[in-house]
Amino acid sequence: MNKYTIVFLAILLVVLFLLPLVAGEYLLHMAVLVLLYAYLATAWNILGGYAGQHSLGHGVFLGIGAYVSTFLFIQWRITPWLGMWVGGAVSALVGWFIGYVCFRYGLKGPYFALVTIALAEAFVYLTSNLAFIGGAKGLEVTWLGHRPDMMEFDGKSGYYYIILIMAILGVIITRWMYQRRPGYQWIAVRENEDAAEALGVDTLRAKIEATALSALMTAIGGTFYAQYFTYIGPRSVFGEGPSIQILLFAIIGGLGTVWGPAVGALVLVPIAELARAKLGGSFGGAHLLLYGAVMVLVMLFMPKGIIGVAQNALSRLMRRQPDSAQSAKEAA
Amino acid sequence: MSLLQVSRLTRHFGGLTAVNDLSFSIDEGEIVGLIGPNGAGKTTIFNLISGFIVPSSGDVTFNGKPLKDLKPHQVCQLGLTRTFQVVQPFPDMTALENVMMGAFVRHANPVQARDKARQVLERVNMSHKADTLGRDLTLMELKRLEVGKALATEPHLLLLDEVASGLNTVEIEEMLALVRQLNQEGITLLVVEHVMKVIMSLSHRIVVLDFGEKIAEGTPEEVAHNPAVLEAYLGEEETHA
Repeated sequence: MNKYTIVFLAILLVVLFLLPLVAGEYLLHMAVLVLLYAYLATAWNILGGYAGQHSLGHGVFLGIGAYVSTFLFIQWRITPWLGMWVGGAVSALVGWFIGYVCFRYGLKGPYFALVTIALAEAFVYLTSNLAFIGGAKGLEVTWLGHRPDMMEFDGKSGYYYIILIMAILGVIITRWMYQRRPGYQWIAVRENEDAAEALGVDTLRAKIEATALSALMTAIGGTFYAQYFTYIGPRSVFGEGPSIQILLFAIIGGLGTVWGPAVGALVLVPIAELARAKLGGSFGGAHLLLYGAVMVLVMLFMPKGIIGVAQNALSRLMRRQPDSAQSAKEAA
Repeated sequence: MSLLQVSRLTRHFGGLTAVNDLSFSIDEGEIVGLIGPNGAGKTTIFNLISGFIVPSSGDVTFNGKPLKDLKPHQVCQLGLTRTFQVVQPFPDMTALENVMMGAFVRHANPVQARDKARQVLERVNMSHKADTLGRDLTLMELKRLEVGKALATEPHLLLLDEVASGLNTVEIEEMLALVRQLNQEGITLLVVEHVMKVIMSLSHRIVVLDFGEKIAEGTPEEVAHNPAVLEAYLGEEETHA
């Protein structure tokens, strides 16, 4: 990282940490949504962007995280601070299993994507029919008042800080992995699996590990989701809605880049929310139309996502200033 | 004891027998050439030895260890790796990162892997292209990169699949010099090559295949005068089924 990047990140951090002092409830709510989806898309990006295995059913992991911690909380008053790790562990195990079954038998590309869709859908029906976790009605997180030890807060700033730290950790973990052997191996698997095998990469293991890590992180996001929205239902977490949204942010922002998912969420979540607020009442469905149009335009004109465009612009700038050529790569 | 022992190796694809009852061995320090007309089974043999496909029957032993049931990455970790006839770069990685992927086999630490990769790039004359993306390299550079990636895994036995194909005469000479140098540094080589001049000048010993079977084996001199070889190449009356 060069000094400009460090200064920029430091300013960004300060602004982000001071935001609740100046922002109103609505803006803070929007910020929580941006950060939540930035975090979830970052988690998805490990498997989908780096390892190149496009899961269309990450709702499975989101739901497991949400349901496990909420169940433990409602049933035995186990704090979600602990529950999120239990949910994370369960989710990682499920991810490991799904990864093993799919990749052991060589499922790739659209076939893997289809299996993940089917699994997520299966979880919707499974949870809808399990009475002890609320069945189709879902679960409501009991409100115990302002209890930081139970991940329950008056107002939004408590939630904001939690998800802010999670999103920051998500980016740090991604960057850390990216610069180490597992990260390189994921990219190698994505780029050319046979070549990776020939160079001693256990491609099966690499893909399973990426699935498990991605599942773990997504599930922890699921616990936060449950605590923030205080209600979870089979379709709201396991359904296609969250599954698709998560990956859209990653793809629009820039697949397989450290910052892409966060940037994607930062751009798209406000567009979606504002469109809904302005158009949702008067002209039903128009906000989705607008959202879809933005999506198509980005796909057409920025096939490598927003980060890809930014990188190109940066490297064109750098060619004029050769002394800082390194920073374009670092920014990735 | 020989470094690589191929015994009675057979592989069927449906009704087609791509490799039939093939046996040969390679001693430490040798350069062995594998030749044969198109479709003789050369690449299949590479795939069988390096673990990309499973033999229908027969065994491959490397350094005394049977390679049966091992995946390519495990074979590579034992010190046997291969290049691909059609170059297989990681297009979105730089040349240096491409080679690092090989270096990671022996060096888990990315700093050490990077150092190793730099040395290897130097060896294959690619240092000046270290920061170029795989997708932006020329064919000659990709061929060098292909060797570099394999070399970075620090193999005892390296299988080279047509490293000279598609190169011009000058480039072929450079590639030959590199391969000879690698051999002098102690790497044993099994080389598949279409360019006859290359294989004849490079190999200590040559195994000739036709329709998946070994039809001759010997020094380049012996093989060049073997009637069965001439027949296979010049296509006199076809006797194989």
